[in-house]
Order: sequence, then structure tokens, then C-alpha cells
Amino acid sequence: MLFEELKDIQRQPDGTPVAAEDLLRLPVFKDISPQFLKKNANATVWRHFRRGDIVCREGEFGSTAFYILEGKANVALATPMAHVKAQGRPGGFLAQLTSKLTSRLTPRQEDRREDEADRRSIPIDAPVDLAYDHPVAELGPGELFGEMTCMNYYPRSATVRAETDCTMLEMLRNVLDVLQKSKAFRAQLDETYRRRALDSHLRDVSIFRGLGQEFIDHLRDRVELLRFAPGQMICKQGDPADSFYLVRLGFVKVSENYPGGELVLAYLSRGDYFGEIGLLGGGTRTAACSALDHVEVVRISAEDFRAMVEMYPEVRSGLERAARERQEANQERLRMVRSVPLESFLAQGLMEAQSLLVLDLEKCTRCDACVTACADSHDGVTRLVREGLRFENFLVATSCRQCRDPLCMVGCPVGAIRRRNSLEVIIEDWCIGCGLCAKNCPYGNINMHSFAAQAEDHEHPGQKKAVVQKKATTCDLCTEHAEPSCVYACPHDAAHRVEPRDFFAGTLGQRVGKTGRVRT
Amino acid sequence: MRIDRTHRSWLVASLAIFGVASLLYGVYRVPFAAGSMGGTTAGLAFGSAGFAFMIFAAMLGARKRVPVYRFGRAQTWMRGHLWLGLLSLPLILFHSGFRYGHGLTAWLMTLLIVVVVSGIFGAALQHYMPRVMTREVTMETIYDEIGHVRAQLLEEAEELIKQATGGEKKVAAGAGEPDSSAPAIAVMDEVAPLRNFYEQELKPFLERPGARGSALGDAAQARSAFAQLRTLVPASLHTTIEDMEGICEEERQLTRQRHLHLWLHGWLLLHIPLSLALILLGAIHAVMALRY
Repeated sequence: MLFEELKDIQRQPDGTPVAAEDLLRLPVFKDISPQFLKKNANATVWRHFRRGDIVCREGEFGSTAFYILEGKANVALATPMAHVKAQGRPGGFLAQLTSKLTSRLTPRQEDRREDEADRRSIPIDAPVDLAYDHPVAELGPGELFGEMTCMNYYPRSATVRAETDCTMLEMLRNVLDVLQKSKAFRAQLDETYRRRALDSHLRDVSIFRGLGQEFIDHLRDRVELLRFAPGQMICKQGDPADSFYLVRLGFVKVSENYPGGELVLAYLSRGDYFGEIGLLGGGTRTAACSALDHVEVVRISAEDFRAMVEMYPEVRSGLERAARERQEANQERLRMVRSVPLESFLAQGLMEAQSLLVLDLEKCTRCDACVTACADSHDGVTRLVREGLRFENFLVATSCRQCRDPLCMVGCPVGAIRRRNSLEVIIEDWCIGCGLCAKNCPYGNINMHSFAAQAEDHEHPGQKKAVVQKKATTCDLCTEHAEPSCVYACPHDAAHRVEPRDFFAGTLGQRVGKTGRVRT
Repeated sequence: MRIDRTHRSWLVASLAIFGVASLLYGVYRVPFAAGSMGGTTAGLAFGSAGFAFMIFAAMLGARKRVPVYRFGRAQTWMRGHLWLGLLSLPLILFHSGFRYGHGLTAWLMTLLIVVVVSGIFGAALQHYMPRVMTREVTMETIYDEIGHVRAQLLEEAEELIKQATGGEKKVAAGAGEPDSSAPAIAVMDEVAPLRNFYEQELKPFLERPGARGSALGDAAQARSAFAQLRTLVPASLHTTIEDMEGICEEERQLTRQRHLHLWLHGWLLLHIPLSLALILLGAIHAVMALRY
């Protein structure tokens, strides 16, 4: 038993508040004020789970964290490791003529997308990450899970089931908040992270895959775990770069300042990293990073970083390549922003897109044939909204508006939604279908698509049952066909798929410059 | 659909077909100076071609029902609908020898003329109206969302007036010392025109935007009503009045959008049922004429 002190504690039935005196017997609570615990007597309760009981399910909203006292729990993702892909029916001439696109779940091995993350582990709200190939792990006594849900009210990131009979403490945010300030508790959490998750976090960064185990062991005790409050700046744009950071908890906002505004490039979540570019040449930060919510990062000092690149030349060359690409992209973006009027800034975001759907409003009769075609192409779920930015007589009905502030990314419990280099949204295979991104998107450009899937039947171990699994989807421009269905179905020659640079430069370049009118 | 340069090939082909048909009719018509018969070989050929064009035109509706099937682009079908549908009229006239007939044939000819004329009217609307809508309705929304947006505008207006009167209450509360009742009353009097305007003009307009008699339904009258309101309230409330003007403008645009949308699509309520009736009666006519 990890906690010898538990022998002296009178166990209470499931759901009963834990007495302050009992909490104070536990080592992790020893720094906590007894008055605080007495005042918040109902904020921590006993939870007893029998073997096989579900503690929490992925995608459900909650507001508590769990601390395991006894027993083992199994944490897993039930969602199929696959993304949504619309495909036509294979077949001969007649089949091609009547081919409707069918959306199905396709794993990464069968369909590799541009800029898809090469991650091997999936970040979850627990002291361990799940392997992409086998998303199951074990939690034991002294481990805490559900921190993000408790602190920030995000959905549960995985399904936790009692592998043996378990005793846990379920606590509200006020208790967890105080615990996180406790040295004893922090020490335990940090030790667990270093032992269980740091290794996989580092190796998930493709550049660091070649690191030897001895170096990771060397780093394990030298890294610094830092905490930031919501809104707190981690590093400013232009500051000297002297550290490399891994995100352990929460969301980090990465933004760049341009004349006239701020552009949010990404929301980094658990397992993501930043700061590597500046370390190579002693340069400056090209972006500002701030804590969006309660954030914990792992900081690797410049000294350890330099030791690493000296010891592993392939790491250095990988970093230099990444740095060069990032700097080129930054320069290009800055050059474009400086060359257009302030009001056209949003157009710049659209210029980064791979492809745009544009409606000529002087031809469009608003018949919605495009929307109907999109729905028919995707099992009744349309991915097109005939509304968007207007430039003169053109409506840009893009799937993704490349928002300056991509609210869709905030709160994803498994970090499955992010931006490609082209700034378009990509949703990774491990999306659990909680729907938070769809709720957050102010333009309705993310839709939840239901699929029939098989899942473990916990009431009948070893058997599977049919479930409906939801996955987030955005427009994929019907890449299976020469033309997207919306364009093909427009009877009025109003819908067109265009290459954005040609469109804005050739069709609108002069007019946008002169009128400067951009309607959102 | 805009009739522009991209229709040139269809226009040329249609003119060519019309030219050939006219020539053939001229050749066919002359020997039958007493009157041509639709039942002759040439008459049947004209009738069949005309009916085939009508059927193709009618299939646009079916094509739209399966938008994702790759049976040719919807745009191509629409152009075929326009030009071949138009061509069906002269071909049927050639088939009938420009006779109106009686009974079923008279009904058919009437239907054909009404359908073609309504189609030309609809094509003209679809040519011009999108530009009008784009120019006049800059705050356009999706048609089915108009009701929802209207409800939001009403909520927004109510919120504006609450904030304005809430500011009034704070001022009144702050001035609640025993000897400052006069200023408190004065403040409340200053906001009263705004509140009255909201209750008597703005709210009824937003709740029943199509109702006649509201000054806010006309842009010029609304401008002068708001200008007058500005003179009656303190400068601190002018921002609220501007916001209210914006809400009114958006409401007017939604009404205009609805109006234009009905024009753009309302004509189909006549065109489609009559077209189906034409096809059905045409088929009956063909069977009856050939059999009997």
C-alpha cells in the first residue's frame, strides 16, 4: 500500500465527504491549512470503485479531479484512431456517374495528410500519455488525473475504468488549486511526470527521436517544471531565446504582433513544444507565448540544450532545418502583411489557405444547391455554410476562416485540433468527438459527424458492442473528385474553387487596395 | 444565371437549330398551302423534337435532386434548360402549323406559351436580381436565418434601451441626496424621449417589420426621425441612437432581402407546376394523336 496512513483512516461510503482530520493524515495534504479543509469540508469526497466500474468517460464534461489512494485504474481512448475521409464508391463508369461520397473513418496508415503530426503518443489529462498504436495505460496509487477538467472545465480526455477495486478522492477546483501550491503535492506530481511522461514527450518531438536513453535520464532531473497563471506571459516576441519548453498542462497561446493587430498562430497543448529555434543561434523569440489557462511547462535550459545538440548532430541538423523553414514562413508572412492595407489583414489569412471556395454574388441566386450538394456528399452533414467574408461581390465561403484567434483549438482535451503550416485546421485521428471545437467555432465551420463503431462492452468483458462515435470534421474540398460537389452542383456558374494568391492578386488585388473595404 | 458571353456557344447552336428548322418548315409548308398537319412526317418530326427538348428541360428538376451524381455539371444542364426549352416553342409552332387548335391542343399551346414566357421572365430575374441584392443588401444573411437574426436584433435593441435606462437609474441613485431630487428628475426626463421612441416606434417596427405605416421602414424617414430624437436627448445617448439606427438599417435590409428573395424564387411556383402539367398533357396528346 502506498499510503501507510490509510490504515488509520476510517473509510466512509462512496460519495461521503472526507473529514479534514483524515485528509491531513495523507502526506500530500500535510502542507494544507486545516482551517481551509474544514471550511471546504464537502469539496473532497470518498470514491470507491469496484473492478470494472467506469470512473469517467472521454468527452463528458466535468469539474473534478481524482486522486488514487488504492488500486489500479486503466485509462484508454475508446474512439477509433482514425480521421474522417470522404471517398467515392470504386467501380466502373456507371458507378462513377452515380457515385456519392461516403464519409468513413480512415486511419493514418491508409491516408497520410499534408502536415499531419507524426506523433506517437496522445496527450491526455493524466500523468501519462497514450501510445497512438495502443492507447491504453495504467494509473496507480499517488497519481492524479482530471486536472484540466477540474481547473479549466474541459471535457474528460479519456475513459478511466477501475482495473482492480479502487479507492480515490474526488475533489473540486478549490481543493486542487490549493494542493497545487503545496510543495509536497507538487513534488509528487513532478516526480510522476518525470518518471512517466517526460520520456514520451521528448520522443514525440520528431527531431528528438534519436536521443539516447542515457541523455533523457540525464535530463530527467535537470529540467525545471514551471507554472503560469491564466494570461501570464511565458516569453515575449523579441526576447532573447534561452530555453526550450514542453507543455505539460494547459494551453499556451502563440501569437505574433503585426502592424494593426495580433495574429494567433496556435494554441499549444500537452506534448507540444516551443522555443527551439532561438536556441540554435542565440536569436530572439519570433512569437509571444502566453498562458491561456492554468499552464505547466517543462523548461530545458540553454546549457542542456547545447549539450544535446553537440552530442547528437542529427538533432542539430533537424532543428536547423525546422528553424530555417519557420523563419522563411515568418518572413514571407511579414512581407505580405506589410504590403497590403490594414483593412485587408484578414485577406492575408485567407491567402495562406490552400484553396478557397468563392461565390460570385452577382450570379448566385441563393438557391442553396451548393449546400444541398455538400450535405448529400457527406451523409447528410453539410460542411459548407453560405456565409463568410465578402470582398466586393465575392463571398468567400471557406471551410476554415483562418481566424486570427482560432477559438476552435481552445480546450481540446486531447490536442487533436491544430493548424497546419498553411494555417488551415487539421483534426488528428485521436479526436474523441467531445464537440468542444464545434461549439467554440463562431462560424459553425466544424461539424460533428456520427459513425457506427465497435467499442468494448464493459458490462460483458471481452465482448464488443455497437456505438455511435462522433468525430469533428471540416470541409475537405471533396478531394476525391476533380471538382468539389458544391461547385459541380451550382447551376448558375457562381461557385468556384480558386487558388487564393491568384484570386486576391489577380482578381481583387487592385480593388482591395483602393477601396480597402472588407466586410466580416 | 447570368446570360453573358459564356452562353455564346449555346446561342449560336440554338440559332443554327432554329435556322435549320425554319428552313425545313418553309420547305414543308409550301406544298400544304391549305394548312399543315401535325400528323405528317415533318409535323411529327417537329413535334417530337420539340417535346424532346421539353423533356430535357424538365429533367433539370430531377438533376437538381441528385446534385452529387456526376451526370454533367449542373451549369450545363441549366444552360440546356434555358436554350432548348426556348427552342421548343418555335418547334411546336412549326409542328402545329401556327394553329392554336381546340380542346387539348389549345390547352397545350396556352400552357407552352405561359411556361416559356414565365421561364424568360425567371431568366431575366435571375440575370438582374442577384446584382440588385448584392448591391442593396450588404448585410445579407442566409434566407432561412432571417427570423433568427430578427429576434437577435430585437434582443439587441432591448439590451441597448436597458443599458440607457440603467445608466439613468444609476445617475438617479447617485443624485439621491435630499436636496438633489430636482436633478434626478431632470435626468429621468432627458431619457424619456429615447424610451418613448423605443416603445412607440422602434420596438413595434422590429416586432412587425412588414407592417405599413412605420416611419422606420423608410430610410429617409428613419434618418429624419433619428435626427429629431438626437435633439431631444443628451449627447451621452447619441451613441445609443447610432446603434439603434444600425439595427433599423439591418432590419430594413432583411426586409428588402426577403422581398428580393421572393421575387427571385416566387416565379417558380407558377413555372414548375405548369411545366409538369405541360409534359403530362403533352404525353397524353402524343398517345392520343398517334393512336387515334
